[in-house]
Amino acid sequence: MTTLHQVSALALAAALVGTGTARAQDPRLMHRLDSVTLASVGALMDSARAAGLPVEPLVQRALEGAAKHAEPDRIVAAVRRLAGELGVARAALGRESSPVELDAGASALRAGVRPEDLTLLRQRRTQSLTVALAALTDLVVGGVPPDSAASAVLALARARDDQIADFRRAVERDIALGAAPAAAAAVRVDATVRDITNSAANSGNTPRKP
Amino acid sequence: MFEHDDDALNRMIDRLREPVEMDPRLDARVMTRVASRGFAARAALVWEWLRRPRTVAISPIAGLGLAAAAAAIIWILPSRAPQFAAPLAADVTPVQFVVVAPGAEHVSLVGDFNDWDARLTPMRADRDGRLWTVTVPLTPGRHRYAFLVNGARWVADPSAPRAPDDFGAPSSVVTVGG
Repeated sequence: MTTLHQVSALALAAALVGTGTARAQDPRLMHRLDSVTLASVGALMDSARAAGLPVEPLVQRALEGAAKHAEPDRIVAAVRRLAGELGVARAALGRESSPVELDAGASALRAGVRPEDLTLLRQRRTQSLTVALAALTDLVVGGVPPDSAASAVLALARARDDQIADFRRAVERDIALGAAPAAAAAVRVDATVRDITNSAANSGNTPRKP
Repeated sequence: MFEHDDDALNRMIDRLREPVEMDPRLDARVMTRVASRGFAARAALVWEWLRRPRTVAISPIAGLGLAAAAAAIIWILPSRAPQFAAPLAADVTPVQFVVVAPGAEHVSLVGDFNDWDARLTPMRADRDGRLWTVTVPLTPGRHRYAFLVNGARWVADPSAPRAPDDFGAPSSVVTVGG
């Protein structure tokens, strides 16, 4: 290969590398972030994509920062932190987890839930984890200690989404009325488990049509 | 040769002289086969020409031009494809958002369901101008959002769980099952 051909090949390679970098950037970010922030967020998105993590939550976190006129460093830090949490969530919940579940798992970790509890929830619940993880997060944010909240949600691992959501609302209502958060979670989870057991028993006793 | 043999021979000759009924599609079939053989022969010639090694001289400027053209094609093609799939209508749940903002001139709902664009989801005030509402379809998942009052003041939803604050302005969270 002659020198001239080598120069041509290098030009092509450089063009392709440049194209790959630009392709990784989301068009929604281009007019909302300055070039330096855009490059940093783009690099974080590339890393997340290469690791098989969802990038949409990262895009949204950057857009939130831009909408709130946050400092560029703060936007990059928030995106980087979320990328790390998504990675831990994926390790805890398993590779088969949906992007929505990973996003909910990242929120739970951010609230203070232990990765081990996410893994237990995955093992015990056959349905989607999104609502259960969201309830867990909201309980912790609402003041329930993370281990108490995790125990409660794990006890409801086989409940339906609407039953878990009702449980979460009941606990929040009790807390708003002055109950201690941990006690409210414990009392409400017992009541919810009892209701689920009773309704299952009643449905089992229902006479079947011939 | 006997007389009756001559008659038989004459009948055979007459029979052979009768015109044969041909399938009217025969000509078309024959011409199709001929044409296809011609195409195959031409394709074989082209393939042979393409496979024959030869030396191509290219100037440096032409090489750079080709590299730039290849890069431009790769650049343009992916941008035409949609980068993000729109959510299916069957998966969405209408969710109503309400905030009390007396005296506000305008209030927007801003969140990750509208790419945090304050122009996209304006809220509507009641007759007194105190209660602002809007209903938006949401896909399953956990959505962060906030209310933007008069384009300047971020307000969290008092009826929803708070989201961690990364940017010094409050946000809330709504979860849609599914």
